[in-house]
Amino acid sequence: MTDTLQILVTIAAVSLATFATRVLPFMCFGSREPPLMLLTIEKNLPPMILLLLVIYCLKDVQWLAVPYGIPELFSIGIVAGLHFWKRNAMLSIFIGTLLYMALVQFNLFSFL
Amino acid sequence: MARIEVEERETGEQNKDLFMIALKTTIPVFLGYIPPGMAFGFLLDGAGYHWIYAFLMSLFIYAGSGQFLAVALLAAGAGLTEVVVATLLLNLRHSFYGLSMLEKFSDVGKVKSYLIFALTDETYALLTTTEVPPGSSKSRFYFYIAALDHLYWIVGSVLGAVLGSVLDLNLEGMSFVLTALFVVLTIEQYFNSNVRFPFIAAVGAGILSLMFFRPENMLLASIVIGTLILIAREKFVKENLHVKQDIQ
Repeated sequence: MTDTLQILVTIAAVSLATFATRVLPFMCFGSREPPLMLLTIEKNLPPMILLLLVIYCLKDVQWLAVPYGIPELFSIGIVAGLHFWKRNAMLSIFIGTLLYMALVQFNLFSFL
Repeated sequence: MARIEVEERETGEQNKDLFMIALKTTIPVFLGYIPPGMAFGFLLDGAGYHWIYAFLMSLFIYAGSGQFLAVALLAAGAGLTEVVVATLLLNLRHSFYGLSMLEKFSDVGKVKSYLIFALTDETYALLTTTEVPPGSSKSRFYFYIAALDHLYWIVGSVLGAVLGSVLDLNLEGMSFVLTALFVVLTIEQYFNSNVRFPFIAAVGAGILSLMFFRPENMLLASIVIGTLILIAREKFVKENLHVKQDIQ
């Protein structure tokens, strides 16, 4: 098969597979009333998944090598602290990101 | 002016306001999608594909890791079956997102299919945490958020593919904007709900997964482990209630 056809078929297959993973729960529980256990899980899942996503963002950090994940942990701490204090999403995210970019680009922890 | 025209004008204004709120809400995702979107575009361009494929992939697949995986497998000459199986496993965590959106999505009408399609990590994070502005349409608001996020991703990847290796901006560390977004949303969840155990479950599941799973499997593993912990606790709490009732 030609290159063009191959990539188009691949795109179609991957699109369907990706959509399948997203639509799966809606197909399982769409028409019927979901069991009570599921509703409780539904309430508990978002906070858990969000915190898991934060931890997920740290997956490539080399904890045993310089700078031991300190720029990441420090920046997360600043974002959290700022947010608990001011509850302003834009501020917390903006300051935290700029800080992290500075730490990483200027190698401020290279003395370790 | 006829009443209908006045009402139409007002609705138009409201929709514009709603759109602006959605735009503001999705700014972190804009900043967080452009660098990896461009990276994907660079990658695809580097593998010798025309930028139109970056557009098509970001439009129809709309999955960051899934698209990177697809390019890698394509370049390595993998067969279609392998690509499909790998994609299913990689994106399985999205099923958990849908699980917690069952109720929220039950009354969104005709945009439901698109919202399900567009359920990425970041869109999920925004939809579960952001409050719909009072008095406005939930489905329209959700649609704006999901569509904007989708648009940013498409723009980023096309930009990357078109620019190729021409640009050399130092955007190092900008991907941290997504980490910061998730931190902020987690804290918002903390203030907006009365459950605390999920955070504990997350710490436990997350650390376990970081230690014992490869980075690419870590998210799905942590979600599965975390969900098991939640279910175990639900059962434990229920049994305790039964015991208390028996004693009485």
